[in-house]
Amino acid sequence: MVKFLDIIFNTGIGVALLGFISASAMFLIWWERKVSAWIQNRFGPMRVGWHGLLQPIADAVKLLLKENISPASADKLVWWLAPFFAVVPAVMAFICMPFDKNLIARDLNTGVLFMIAITSICVFGIFMAGWGSNNKYSLLSAMRAVAQIISYEIPLTLSVLTVLMFANSLSMQDIVRAQSKYWFIVYPNLTIAFIIYIISATAEVNRAPFDISEAESELVAGFHTEYSGMKFAMFFIGEYTNFFIISAIAATLFLGGWQGPFLPPVVWFLLKTYAIVFLLMWVRWTFPRVRVDQLMAFAWKVLTPIAFVNLLIAGLFLIKTR
Amino acid sequence: MKKYFQNIAIGALSLIKGLVVTFKNIFCPKITLQYPSERQSMAERFRGLVDLRVNKCIVCSQCVRICPTACLSLSAKLTEEKKKALESFKYNMELCCFCGLCEQVCPVSAVYLNKIYEVASFNRQDLYIDLLNPEKYVKFVNPAVK
Repeated sequence: MVKFLDIIFNTGIGVALLGFISASAMFLIWWERKVSAWIQNRFGPMRVGWHGLLQPIADAVKLLLKENISPASADKLVWWLAPFFAVVPAVMAFICMPFDKNLIARDLNTGVLFMIAITSICVFGIFMAGWGSNNKYSLLSAMRAVAQIISYEIPLTLSVLTVLMFANSLSMQDIVRAQSKYWFIVYPNLTIAFIIYIISATAEVNRAPFDISEAESELVAGFHTEYSGMKFAMFFIGEYTNFFIISAIAATLFLGGWQGPFLPPVVWFLLKTYAIVFLLMWVRWTFPRVRVDQLMAFAWKVLTPIAFVNLLIAGLFLIKTR
Repeated sequence: MKKYFQNIAIGALSLIKGLVVTFKNIFCPKITLQYPSERQSMAERFRGLVDLRVNKCIVCSQCVRICPTACLSLSAKLTEEKKKALESFKYNMELCCFCGLCEQVCPVSAVYLNKIYEVASFNRQDLYIDLLNPEKYVKFVNPAVK
């Protein structure tokens, strides 16, 4: 009986998380379109609902009703599995997302490690999509995406490691609690780590200015060129869920997570997350796309050395002070 | 080594400059219009549909003769005071190339091009216009706003 209740409870958590994820992905799509429009002196979606707030729902309905076309020469199994690989890891990362003091599905004691590991799986989805489509643009895009994501994983992990040294724990909740006095971003080392994290996280989710894997001018639509209907929607949801996740991790690791005065903790968490989301959107609609070689050189020649030196200095600082 | 950091600093500074520009743009007034409800006023010399000030026309037929696509046609009658008057003035919008020569050639500015620009129609008959009918363009004005 207890086990049965447990299953029901866990299913409830899962459903709630899925609901939150789809709502947040839809909101992010609307918000992205609005921010881009404002930056370009336009209105953005205005017709469906209040200021176009229901536009993503209309788009989702449209995508659901569309035909599912698969290319004749596609590698069918890989091609069919790819969208799931893009979405499922993104959803799984929500397992240890600390929304509140107690509002967390599972507070794993290796939470950060789990997050980094699980979000890295998305790269399989992208590569499977590129390989399975049997299309030169998709394959080229997938190769670029893999090279990019693996390269930027290193500075990203190093900057997260700096935080872990300060927090002395891998659990997301412990990291938030360690920031009860000051947010981690106030330490100079962690400010640098934050900047490195934001840059590499942008590259990690393939957003401009690091969106060479979806460069429309060169690669049509990149790895999802051949996808239509709900499969395309799954890539889209996966992309925006990952976007939310990296912003939420940044808010948790550097900006104190759910901690803050007056407002409820959940509101603080979402406020901080959406502030970083806005920052990344602002960056996306400001900068042009970088070249492939610039992208790789930036990861290996600038971000990685700085992240290493930063980690070293942080370690020396901690030895000195403790 | 110095150049390495200099490069990074200059790069970062230029990025911030760019961000400031776009952030200011967010609060700028929007330049697009909510089309069917808000409309742009057309330019002074915009060439829309051919229109006629009926009581000004002296029936000289110059517009008919100069029209390169022969989209205008008129017929005259004699009034009781033995003066020429318009009997019919037909305008075939299907052929019109909106060159405005009829407006230029008209000695009394009776023929002119108005500011109507929403001229699409589902029915070809709508494009054959009787210029003497005062309500000829009602169907073309603001078709989206009912």
